[in-house]
Parts: sequence; structure tokens; C-alpha cells
Amino acid sequence: MKNYKYKVLIMAFVVAISSCTTDDLEPTLAQSKSVEQSVTKVDNLYSILKGIHSLMSGSGYYGQDVIITNEVRSDNTFSTGNSGRFTTESQFLYNNNSDLIWNNAYEVIANTNIIITADLENLEGDTDYGRHIQGQALTIRALAHFDLLREYGQQHTGSGNLGVPVITEYKGEDLFPSRNTIDEVKAAVYNDLETAFSMMDSQYDNTNVIVSKYVAKALEARVAVYFGDWPRAVTASEEVINSGLFSIIPADSYVSSWAADGGPNVMFELAATQTDNAGINGLAYMYQINEDGSGYGDVVATPEVLDIYEDSDVRLNIMDTEGEFIRNVGKYPDNVNFTSNIPLFRYEEVILNYAEALFETGGDALIQLNKIPANRGASLYSEATKENILLERRRELIFEGFRFDDMLRTGMNMEAIGTNGVVVEVIDYPSYVFAWPIPLSEMNANSNMVQNDGY
Amino acid sequence: MKNKLHGILTLLLAFVVQITFAQEKTVTGTITDETGLPLPGVNVIEEGTSNGAQSDFDGNYSISVEPGDLLVFSYVGFETQSIVVGSSDVYNVTMAVSAAALEEVVITGYVAQRKSDITGSLVEVDAGKLSEYAAASVDQALQGNVAGLTVSQSSGTPGSVANIRIRGLSSITAGNEPLYVIDGVPVNNGNVSASTATSSISALAAIDQSTIESITVLKDASATAQYGARGANGVILINTKSGKYGKTVYNFSSQVGFQNDATKGPTPLTSAQRLELASEAYYNDGYFDSEQAAEDYILGNIGLFTQWDEDGRPESNWSEAVANDDALYQQHSLSASGGGEDNRFFASIGYLQQEATVIGSDFERISGSLNFSKDFSPSLKFSSNNSGAYTLQNAFLEQSAYFASPRTAKYFMNSLRYPYNEDGSPAEIGGALPNPLIGARDDFNENRFTRIISGNSLDWDIGSGFKAGTKFNVDLQLYNYRTYGNRNYGYGVPVSGEASQYDRTNAFYVLQNYLEYDFEINQDHAFNLKAVQEYQASRSYFLGGDGNNFADDGLFYLASAGTPLSVTSSFSDWYMGAYLGLLQYSAFDSKYVLNLSYRKEGNSRFQEENRWGDFYSIGAAWNLHKENFLSSSDAIDYLKLRGSYGVTGNANIGLNNYQSLFTYGVDYNGEGAQVVDTFGNEELSWEINKTLDVGVEFGLFQDALTGNVAYFRRNSEDLLLDVPLSQTTGFNTQTRNIGALVNEGLEVQLNANIVNTKDVSFSIGGNFTTVENEVTKLPLDPNGVERTITTTITRIETGHPVREFYMPTWAGVNPETGMEEFYVNGVDGETTTNFNDAEAVFQGSNAIPTLTAGMNLNFSFKGFFVNANAYYAGGHKIYEGWHLYLHQTNGYPILAYNGYQSLMDRWQEPGDIARHGKFTSAGEPWQRHSKYLYDADFLRLRTVTVGYDLPSSAMEQIGMTSVRVFLRGNNLATWVKDDNLLYDPEQDLGGETGLETPPTKAFLVGLNLTF
Repeated sequence: MKNYKYKVLIMAFVVAISSCTTDDLEPTLAQSKSVEQSVTKVDNLYSILKGIHSLMSGSGYYGQDVIITNEVRSDNTFSTGNSGRFTTESQFLYNNNSDLIWNNAYEVIANTNIIITADLENLEGDTDYGRHIQGQALTIRALAHFDLLREYGQQHTGSGNLGVPVITEYKGEDLFPSRNTIDEVKAAVYNDLETAFSMMDSQYDNTNVIVSKYVAKALEARVAVYFGDWPRAVTASEEVINSGLFSIIPADSYVSSWAADGGPNVMFELAATQTDNAGINGLAYMYQINEDGSGYGDVVATPEVLDIYEDSDVRLNIMDTEGEFIRNVGKYPDNVNFTSNIPLFRYEEVILNYAEALFETGGDALIQLNKIPANRGASLYSEATKENILLERRRELIFEGFRFDDMLRTGMNMEAIGTNGVVVEVIDYPSYVFAWPIPLSEMNANSNMVQNDGY
Repeated sequence: MKNKLHGILTLLLAFVVQITFAQEKTVTGTITDETGLPLPGVNVIEEGTSNGAQSDFDGNYSISVEPGDLLVFSYVGFETQSIVVGSSDVYNVTMAVSAAALEEVVITGYVAQRKSDITGSLVEVDAGKLSEYAAASVDQALQGNVAGLTVSQSSGTPGSVANIRIRGLSSITAGNEPLYVIDGVPVNNGNVSASTATSSISALAAIDQSTIESITVLKDASATAQYGARGANGVILINTKSGKYGKTVYNFSSQVGFQNDATKGPTPLTSAQRLELASEAYYNDGYFDSEQAAEDYILGNIGLFTQWDEDGRPESNWSEAVANDDALYQQHSLSASGGGEDNRFFASIGYLQQEATVIGSDFERISGSLNFSKDFSPSLKFSSNNSGAYTLQNAFLEQSAYFASPRTAKYFMNSLRYPYNEDGSPAEIGGALPNPLIGARDDFNENRFTRIISGNSLDWDIGSGFKAGTKFNVDLQLYNYRTYGNRNYGYGVPVSGEASQYDRTNAFYVLQNYLEYDFEINQDHAFNLKAVQEYQASRSYFLGGDGNNFADDGLFYLASAGTPLSVTSSFSDWYMGAYLGLLQYSAFDSKYVLNLSYRKEGNSRFQEENRWGDFYSIGAAWNLHKENFLSSSDAIDYLKLRGSYGVTGNANIGLNNYQSLFTYGVDYNGEGAQVVDTFGNEELSWEINKTLDVGVEFGLFQDALTGNVAYFRRNSEDLLLDVPLSQTTGFNTQTRNIGALVNEGLEVQLNANIVNTKDVSFSIGGNFTTVENEVTKLPLDPNGVERTITTTITRIETGHPVREFYMPTWAGVNPETGMEEFYVNGVDGETTTNFNDAEAVFQGSNAIPTLTAGMNLNFSFKGFFVNANAYYAGGHKIYEGWHLYLHQTNGYPILAYNGYQSLMDRWQEPGDIARHGKFTSAGEPWQRHSKYLYDADFLRLRTVTVGYDLPSSAMEQIGMTSVRVFLRGNNLATWVKDDNLLYDPEQDLGGETGLETPPTKAFLVGLNLTF
């Protein structure tokens, strides 16, 4: 009874048995899975592919930035600064503090690389389907590299030949890459697209909100036009046209087609649904102001835009000319629920690329060019000139983010427009401001990176 | 763990049953103190056994023992006595007050120590001090009372969180928040809000401060290393009240008052000024030949101006419209405490209501607590501390410039729009900014938070110096968030009303077991050994959704939403396990003291191999006043040298960061999808802090002058840093253990009792702390180049404080051209008007004060008393947010939004020396530079209390033990060093002013009754 020792021992024992081990400290993974261990089926690749589409539709990429920043620097639009957005881009006053699409595009590329480098032999499911998904991922990887190249490459800066780093591995050996040359990036893009086209099988394409086989060719044509690789642009366009899968939307449904999903002319668009959209950080909110005052509405058309259309052109109806400013209300129209899909590849662009490539290679461009005005209530061209082709591209593709590149690749000067619509400065081609600065965060993290001149 | 816990309880309960032996007799007696008064509740124990009894109210005891047994009489605050049982059956005992008990005992973590035995740096703040600052959460009251501790309110909205930093910043990426411990149990007291847009709500605000006995802040490693990984940022120990033996004592306390913004903030432009500036801007831009022509055009052609002119040019005064003048504050609590022979209790109920100084926001708390202890036997004590509170916060969109926020409207709303219709009802104005008066009335953002804490422990005095115990604590936090945007006006209109509701359940379980052994060698060497085992599990579950399209008004539950939009649910958890050993050694009645601690701790945030870390500390003290050569000194009553060194850790990072992960939180076209979202790092482990602390504590001239001086140096290594990655990897950062920083400083605390007589007492005190913070190591890339981390206004680079402000330097307004200019090299010489040509440079300091000080004054004369407390912070800077729209001479403040009257100091014609440049009607892009960076030094009178204690003669007549009435003021006066800093200087640690509710100035009247 007076011996306390056994009690102490028992207490020590109690402490010992109630102790915890490393296993008791194992956390739960409830919303996440290990990258290394969870890709076991072809279906997992499809899930990642959808995730990539979701990233692309984010406001840091096609959900807003890549389209708006290019529009606002072109002669199509400027920023009124109504909410203070996109005034820096509109006036070419940006500096290296902005990340723009850099991180978004590379995030897309990282995810495509997981799909592309997956060993299909080890995955459950249809291997052919797996190859198709890998082709889709390659197409998107090419698109992302091309987007990075046209935004950050030095092709229009008047000096240098630097492109962007080409990344083909997820968490690869070199985590501090240097910039590839413009030609190297272009070659990588073409290479990805050719491989992609050969890997994909149209039988698996059943929706236009997921990238598909002929998108690879449409993109190849777009890239070829950008770089003036005209014969390649001709062949790639013809592949798309000869597939017979797509057609130009007729005049009477042109405006309404923007309010609806899909359509015979839509090769690939990013889905926006009532529950999954860029919301107030999306395109509609940036172009429009609702009657109740909601909407940032910073980006408005320049007055000259009205002059490029004939009165009978249905494309005029895309615009609201009633208010203080001319606004795009017809493309990405839903400014309440934000459910408008974002078309990235329309058949009309393929036709225009084809027309321009034919023009440059001495082919019959006029027939192709006139297919567009013929379906828009506009008069036909009597002659296919470079000027007419660019004019028709501007009319057709306005507010979709193409004009800036069209102006650059044809060596036009740019106008920096103030919030009041007045031209602040004319920037002669070429100029350092035609390439974005590499973001400061990238420069600080990676000393192999070379900054574009002027920043 | 559940099964294990069950086992422990069963085992412990088994010991309650004791077997008795034959040949016993019953011994009785009366226990009194030295004045002859009976002492109830004295423990009478047969040594080496658990056989024992307690004295009753009359001091009588009775116990069965055998002759020859040793009876030990012990009672807190008295010298322990022992008696060998002989032939007598009656043993009366007189207990002498313990000399040691005269010394203050402070809870220092897992143990309580006498003041002279403490080797570390800690500060105790008592209930009296804590009650002087009227706020929903008690941490606000620590400002100025604890040297080295800064409290930064994230907002003045009642119930929102405050950021506390103790002795600087120990980490760049991992958390810098101290660990909170309530009644010995580590708890989570952070922000529980589910929204990053609306007001935050602090879990600490669910604790009724009137139930708190004291708060002890542990600052150095010898004090904090026992908390191991989580002690690196300091520890805040909250000790709740408990009952005492004796008759039940009731206490009622109440304070009621009103509050307004502590500082006025910038004054918005009036409409008349708006017209003047707009005319000037149009003229400057060359649209008109004269300002008069521009004004004529504006009044004739810009609708809102025309209307305003026709209406007789009224001033809309949005500042007044959105202010909740004289916002109510009321706090009431009623408690009862007491105890019987073998039990003690403290019970309380409390109510607090605090309105914000802006319309539509307030906070309410109803709370109750019961702390109860019961001695199952004299050697086995059970205690249970329970508290529960329900809080409701009407939050609002304040974390950015949300157009629906009344605080945004104050500055952003076009002054030409009127808040009210002619009939006095709120106007349904158009434009981008809706009238917040309608939103405040018809919409809501509600945070509901319920917190229940129950801590139950058994402590067993095994005998012969051995003690053991177990404690199990549950902290259950239920959070609910509801929003509604009405169908008729504002953002809810296009979708016919919108609503969202979210629920979160956080459950924190803590289990502690300990075994303790006290022994002495030759009476001169006292040892205390303690082993503790601790396990903590934290689980969080989240569920919610939103929808829109309601058929009618007054419906805001999702069941009525015509279009359900989204649902979400998620689960997360983390676990912590630890073993702790403590040794306290004191020689020659604490002349020399040595404290050692060692803790092995594991955390689920790290990969299996790196999960466990080792932390330790060593502390020593030398009480010189106990040496013979000083013991006879008249001047020196107390003099202690102390020093400590220890290693603590920090694991306060996101969950599951060590793994490379897919998230499934993305979806596409209505289908589930996945993308990678964590780069992963299998080597991830603890961030290490090595802290050295040396100090001297003294009491001179019968403690007329007391104080302490301490030097500290904290080296933080293997920082858990979000290392910037090349974004070509697809990631921005990877969490790694790399980098180092140092915090070094001096703390001085002094208190002088100038007069201390029966009728008059007067004391003044103060403390100040310096902290130098410097980053000493950052990761390098393969070329050996440092990977700095830069934002538009700050940069992290070695040789500089963390996040030192870094931006181009403003050179002023050119008197000839009116253009704002910047230094090309960032320092001096050549200037440019092209912002992109100006080099960004370090601006000298970050947003954390390098010098803080607290001052207090206490005066009493007979029953009257005055207490005051002031706080100073300096050496840091603050950046003004939103200046593009509100504080630049462009089109935003005069045509789109509204600006500050300080803009009137602008350049108008060549030769003008002005703070602001030439006005233009155009917008400008964001350009952040030093013009908007201000010295943030300020001095604030935080509390003043004037009161009166009724004399005891008066109280006897009304049956009271004590009655106190008082008047109290909080934040009555503020001095700000930089006249250009228009916002309140007390800002969030982010270092950028925002549109949150500012701190408040309060006037209160209060009453305390004890009976």
C-alpha cells in the first residue's frame, strides 16, 4: 500500500500506450491525389485534358486577358478606364510587374506534358483513344507555345531572335530553362501539330468544346499565316476544308450564333456554363455595361470601326452604337449569367487564312475571300488584294483578339490611345513594346532568362 | 486514438477505489491559520498513499490512519506541515503562510512557476488591464501592455481578426501568428470566415474576456520550446477564472457606450470642388480656351452636373450617409464562483453587442461558461472547464474596393449622386456603384460562429513527489455564412436575387498525459521532472452552395432558389504528436535556477521520414538578491540575471504541401476535371528558430522601482519558403526549407510606484522594444543568383528587412510643367516623367514597426482612480492603396469616382509649388511610387479610465462587497508623424491602406458589482 512505485509504473505504461506513432500523423487526401500514383487509366488522361480546357478558359488566358490585351492595343478598341482596367495595355505603358499570360500558358503546358509523356502501355483502357487524347494535348501544347511566342517573342521588336522556352516535360531535368529562338519555337509548334494530327482519330471527336483533330490543322494554318509560311498555310487550310466537317455561318444566323453554343462554323470553343465561367472577370463584363450599371465596360471600339462596314453588313449588329461609346455586345454576349462560350477556332478564320495564303502563293484567292462577305450581307470584292483580305479579317474577327497580330505581321504602326479616346502617341513598327516584358517574377526566379530589350 | 483514450480513463478511474487495512483509528482535529481563523479545504494526506481527507468549512477534518503514519497537511499558499500519528486521536494544526507563496506564481506553459524560478522572458497581463480596452476579442487589449508585442487590427469591424507579432517576423511564408493556449490546451484562434471578400471573424472573439483571469505571453525559447514546433512565434496563454473555497461570490459587470472612427480619414471632395477640378482638367487638356468655358460646357452637357446645378448645388455628403454615428457598444456579464469542501466552481454568462462605425455591420455574442472541479479523493482531482458562445456578425464587403460596400461609397461614390430621395428614403441611383444604404437594408452577409470548448482533466497525487494526470480537450467550432443580394436593387437584380450559404465544422481534439516527480536533495536542491505526451487532431469539414432567381422578396434560403448554381464540400485534417520532458532545478531556495526542456514533435504536414523534429531549450537564472552580499541591501529587493537559448520550430504552412498533387477543384463544361496544383517537395520539414535571450530583472527601494531589460536574437533557419520557381514549370512557387532571417532587439520594461500610501497611490510605467529584422539568406538559382521576391511595392532580398518597400522614388511636381517626376536612378539627380524609366529602389523600411512602446499611468486617491495607457509604434512605413482612383490628378476622382480634398493642393500654373500635379480629365495606368508611401509612426492614447470604488461603509448598507463605477475612453487621441498619411495609422500588417472599417474611438460608462 505504501509502495507508490507500481502506480508510477502503471502511469508510465498508460502514457506509453496512449502515445502516438508516425502513422497517427498521416494526413487525409480528400480533394487531391498524388500526381505520381493516380494516373492509371486512359480516362484519367481525359480528366486532365478537361482540366486543361478549364485553365484555358480562365480570365488569365482566353477567358479575358489574351483576347482583351490584343484587342485593346490594336486599332479596334481602347480602354476608357471605366474600372481602371487595361489602360496600361491600351497606352502601351506596361512594365515587367505584370504576369499577363506567361504563367497561365505554362500551367497549361505543364498539364499537357503529363498527358503527352504518359506511357499508354501501362494504362487501363483503349490505347487508341489514349493516343487521340495525347494528340489533343499536343495540339493545345502547340497553341500555348504559339501564344507565348506571339506575345513574348522578339519577332516584331526590331532586334533579337529570342522566342520563349519550349517545355516538353512535366517537372523535367531543367527547371531553369533559357529562351529558345523564334525559329526553334516555331519548329516545335509545327512538329507538335504534325504529330498531333497523326495521332488523333476523328471518330473520337464528338464535341466542339474539346480540341479536335482538325483544330491541329487550323492552328497550323494560323501559325503559318503569322510567319508567312504560305505553302504550309495552303495545305493545312485545305486539310480542314476538305474534311467537309465545317461550314460558314450564314448571314441571318450570324449574330444569333454568338448567343448560342456551337454551330457549324465553330471548330473549337471554350465552354462557359452557368456554374463555371469567368464571371465578372470575363469578356462580356469587360466589353459591356448593363442597363443597371453593372459591367466594367472599359474596352470600347474606336469610332473608325463603324466605317469599315457597309450598312447592310450583319456584323454591324454585333455593336451597340447608341451610347457614349461604341460597344461590342454581340460577341460573348451574356453579361448576366456569363454563359457565352468563347470560340477559339472558327471556320471563317480558316477560309480567310486560306484566301491570304492563296493570294501570297498566286492561287485563286478571290473565291475564298468572297465566301465571307457573301454570307454577311456585304458586297463582294472585285479583287483579292492584301488590303482587302486584311480588311475582311478585321470585319470578321473584330473583338476576338486577331487584329493586333494582323497589324504586326504586316508591319503597321500602332496608336496608343488614352482613356478619352485621344491618340497619345503613335508607335512606329517595329518597337520593343510589341513584345511583352518577361514577368519580373520569372526574371527573379531564373537567371537563365533573358529580358526583352527596353524593359 | 479513441480506443486508447478509453483505456486511459478506465485505468485512472480504477485508482480511485482504494483498499483499506485493519488496525486503523480515526484521527480528527481543527486546522486554523496563524490568526486563529479556521481553514477549509486543507488537504490531509497519509504520506505515500492516496488515503486522505479535507477540512470542512469550520476547519475540521477526520481521517482513518494507523499509529506511526505520517500525516501531511497542505494548502495552497501555506507551508506544508507533517505530523506523525501517535496515541492521540486529536491533532489541531496551525498553518503558517508560506514565504514562497508570497511570491507570485505564474503559469508558464505546462507548469506554473514562482517568479524567481523563471528563466525566460514572459509578461503576465491581468484581468484588470484586459478589461480596459473595449473590443470583442481580448487580443486587442494586449497592445501596449506587453513589450515586444504588436497587434494589428485587420479591420475595425467588430469581431474581425487582429494580427499579432511577437518580437518581429520569424518567417516569410509560414505563419507568424503566435500559438494560443487556453487553460493549458493549444487551440486555433484564427480567422474562420469562408469569404475573402467580406469582414473576417476571429475565433478568439467567441471567448468572453470577462471569464479570463490573466493572459501570459511567452516570448523566449526557454518559455516557448515546450510548445516545440508551434512556439516559434511566441505563445499566448489564456487562463480562465476558477472558483475558490468559501461562500458563493457574485459579480456583475457592465459597460455601455458609443464609438466613432478614431481618426477622421481623408475628406472626400465636395461637388463644388469636383466642378472646379473638372473644369480645370478639361481646360488643361486643351478642350476649352478657359476654365469658365469648360465649366459652362460641363454644367450644360454632363447630365449629373446639369441636374445638380438645377437642384441648387446641394452637397450629397456620402461620408455622413454611410456612417453609423455613435455606434453602440455594450457588454454585460454575471458570474458566480465559490466552492465546497471538495469542489470549486466558476460560472458565468455574458452578452456583448458592438455596432460598427459604418452602416449595416455589427457583432453580437452570447456566452456562458462553467469551470468546475471536484476532488474525488484528496489525492485525485477532477476538473472540467467548459465554455460556449454564439456570435453573429453582420459583415460587409470590405477586403477590397467592392462597389457595394458603404466604406467604398464614402470615397468612390460620385458626389453628384444623392443618397436620399426627397422623402428621405434611400435613392435607387444608377451607375456602377449601387446605393449602399439600400444594400445595408435589404442585403446581408452574415457570419454565425458557435464555439464550444470543453477541457476535462484528472490529476492524481500519487505521493512521494509523484503526480500524474490526463487531460482531454474538445474545441468544436461551427461556422455558418449566409449572403443575400435582393431582387429589386443592386447586383441581385439581373438574376432575380442571389444567395449563398456555407457551413464549416472544425473539431480540434487534444489529449495530454503527464507524469511528474518532485524531489529535493538536502533541502537545498529542488528538482521537478515532468514528462508530457500530447496528441492533437484537427478536422475541418465544409459544405455550401449558392443559387439565384427567387420568386419573391424575403426568401433567401437555397430551397427557394429557382436556379441552384453550385454546391461544394471539402474535408481537411492535420495531426500533431509530441513527447516532452521538462526539468526544473533550483538550488538554495532558487538562488540558482536551471530549466531544461526537450520536445520531440511530429506533424502531418511533412512526409513520413521528415515528420519528427527535435526542439529543446536551456534556461538559467541567478537570483542575486538571495545572495548574502545583497540580502541585507536596503536598495535592492529583487535582482535576477537570466538567460536562455533554445530551438523551436514552425510548421505553419498549407496542408499536403510535400506531395505533388492533382486538384479536382476544376470543372469543365459541367464535368469533373483535374489539374496539377502542388509542385511537391518530399524533403519538406520544420522551419527552425534559434533564440537567445538574456536579461536582468530588478526591484529597487521596496519595489518602488521595478523593471527588466532583455536582449534577444532569433535566428530563423531552413525557412519554410515559397521559393519562386521559373513559371515555365507551370508553377509559381515550391515550398522548401531554405533561407534565413534574423530578428534582434532590446526590450525594456519599467514601473515606478511613486506614491503608495493607504489613501493615495500613484505609479507610472512603460516599456519599449526595438526589433531589427533582416533577411540573411535566400535560395540561389543554378547560376548562383539570388532568387528575390518582388511585388509592385515590396521586395524580399538579403540584407534587408522582410518585404521592405521597394518602388520608384517620387521627385515631386515640376513647378514649371506641373508634371509628377521620378528619380531615374531611384535616389537623386536626374528626373523623368516616364514612370517606366525610373528605377525601383529600397525605401528604407517595411510595414513592421522597429520601435514600439507602451506607457501607463495609475493613480488612486481614496476610492477614486485614474488609469491610462498609451501606445507608440514607429520606424515603419505604410502605403496608400487605391490612390489611382482617389488621390491622383486624373479623371477618376473628378469624373468617375470621387477623391480627397487634399487634391486641391495641385499645380495650376507655372511657378506653383504643389503636392499634386496638373489635373487631366484622362485616366492613368497604375503606377506605384514613393509619393504614396508614408512614415507610419504614431502615438495613441489607447485607454483612459476614471472611476470610483464605493467605501466599504456604504457597501455594507446595500449588501455589497464592492461597487465600482467608471468612465472609460478608448483611442481618445492619436498623433501621426506624417501629415500626408490621411488614413488611420493602425493598419493591417500587409502595409497597404484599404477600405476596411478603421479603429474606433469609444466612450463608455461602466459598473462592477460584487456581492
